[in-house]
Amino acid sequence: MLDELTTEVKASMGIYESDAEQVYGLLAEFSNPGELMHAAEATREKGYRHFDAHSPFPIHGMDRAMGLGNSKVGFFAFGGGVTGLATGYLLQWWTSAVDYPINISGKPFFAVEPSVPIMFELTILFAAFGAVAGMLALNGLPRPYNPLFYSDRFRRATDDGFFLHVAASDPQFDPETTAQDLRELGARHVELVQDDGSAEV
Amino acid sequence: MADSVDRNSILGWLVDPLSSTRASAEAAFQFTADRRAWLAPVGIGIALLAISAVGSVLDPKQFFFSYLTGWSFLLTTAVGGLFFLFFQHLTKAAWSVTTRRINEALVWAFPLLALLGIPILFGMHDLYHWTHAELYDPSSPQYDEILAGKRSYLNTPFWAIRMVLYFALWTFISYRLYTLSVRMDVEGPGEAGDGIPAQLRSTSAWGLPLSAVATAFCSYDVLMSTDPHWFSTIFGIYFFSGGILAAVSAIALFALLLQQTGGMLQGAVTAEHYQDLGKFMFGFVVFWAYIAFSQYMLYWYGGIPEEIVWYQHRLEGAWAWHSALLLVMHFIVPFLILLPRFTKRSTPILGVMAVWLIGMHWFDIHWIVRPVMSDAATFHWLDFTTWLGLTGVFGGFVMYRLRRHALVPQQDPYLADSLHFENT
Repeated sequence: MLDELTTEVKASMGIYESDAEQVYGLLAEFSNPGELMHAAEATREKGYRHFDAHSPFPIHGMDRAMGLGNSKVGFFAFGGGVTGLATGYLLQWWTSAVDYPINISGKPFFAVEPSVPIMFELTILFAAFGAVAGMLALNGLPRPYNPLFYSDRFRRATDDGFFLHVAASDPQFDPETTAQDLRELGARHVELVQDDGSAEV
Repeated sequence: MADSVDRNSILGWLVDPLSSTRASAEAAFQFTADRRAWLAPVGIGIALLAISAVGSVLDPKQFFFSYLTGWSFLLTTAVGGLFFLFFQHLTKAAWSVTTRRINEALVWAFPLLALLGIPILFGMHDLYHWTHAELYDPSSPQYDEILAGKRSYLNTPFWAIRMVLYFALWTFISYRLYTLSVRMDVEGPGEAGDGIPAQLRSTSAWGLPLSAVATAFCSYDVLMSTDPHWFSTIFGIYFFSGGILAAVSAIALFALLLQQTGGMLQGAVTAEHYQDLGKFMFGFVVFWAYIAFSQYMLYWYGGIPEEIVWYQHRLEGAWAWHSALLLVMHFIVPFLILLPRFTKRSTPILGVMAVWLIGMHWFDIHWIVRPVMSDAATFHWLDFTTWLGLTGVFGGFVMYRLRRHALVPQQDPYLADSLHFENT
């Protein structure tokens, strides 16, 4: 149960687990962004959930084609903001009224009014931290190792290659039929990537 | 300027300087509702103002304070709309083109506001303490050294001259922005370098700094000088921040009204445009709070008697409740509601928030004006009849202008971009 949950959470971050035979998944190459988007949409419609698209530049509409929904980064940013607000308040209250109270021209040791700028700044700062950390976490980054790197063709994902990766962890995955599906969608090239370092056509 | 569009009659000029170009509007951008769309609000507004006129006999002082509140509410909204329009032209904004005609209709308001401002002239003695002659007579017990020092600025003739200047400037700028855009519906944009879009931009470029100065001084003259001992250099920005918030809310509200109850602008104003208007509403909620707090914090910190007097009226005694409500309802609650994406894309929620923020802007002006009159923090029925009466007339004539022309600038070069606009 917990293992399944972990697998699903990792899959939502783009980190897929290999199957028992070390198969990581199928990597299909398409000739242009339009075909890739169409293939992603068709793959989702066929019921696959563990798949990802790789292209040298962002493709407008791809998130909708893949069925990704809205980004959840906002929740991380909001959580960071609330934390920052509370931190700003407690920090100033504790330092100026508890730990080291100094009487400055008869003003109160602590008051909300002069504390607001710091509370505001820490809200912004922590919200930014939350947004960046949330973005990295949701993308499964940083990620120095990815079995797809075993594929020589995959290098072109940063140049002129458009790839769709269907992971072996998907319940519907089958090396034969999935490869057939991808070819039918117009894949120029389909290869089986394995976690032990081999990539075969 | 080519005269492809005729002028309106002299009286009609007050509410729309151009004759109707309805016939040349594309079918998709026609105003399809009948004349009741503007006659009804104007009629209700006039009726409420007639009731207020009775109140002005019964309780003149209350009437003038209520009237100034309602009138300032509309003035700030119109000025805010003018700035929002500048921003669209100066940034060559494509997203907002389909909602720009509503903005333009909102902005041709200054001649009517000048006319509606005349009753305030009869209440100068009640509204503006600095108009009292005995303050400046050294032998009088009412002699006020501080106000005597401010007399070279705060005196009735100079005040009147300044008001004429502000309204002349705003009328001229809004005339340019309104008529050029309507003419473009008929004539087309012209050549890229010096066509109508370029003229709209250059008018906005010089209009922005001049209007900024006029807005700051107008805020001192109309609202800040009701408490003439007090001064705040940031007051003009405060005046602007509430106004532009109300203006963006009004644009969203008019778009929703036309679309949801009138079935107009279908496909032209989409969830994408509402989301962006919602972002601006959210942004100006925060901006208003930022400016309001900046003004307050400096005076709180200084703690100098002549600087805190204005806040003393509002934070001690009965008005403290209004101040607290302002913080919660003008900032915290709308901030949290407008924060997520889905609320800005939901037409019912955005409509409620637009009405709410327009109402809170009036509450803000009421909080500025009314404590000058008395320490008792109450609403008077005249507050509502003058506010809603003036707003009915004002809003009705916005509808009147919308009905006479295409609902979007139909030949704007960025219209196609705006129609296909999508948030990423």
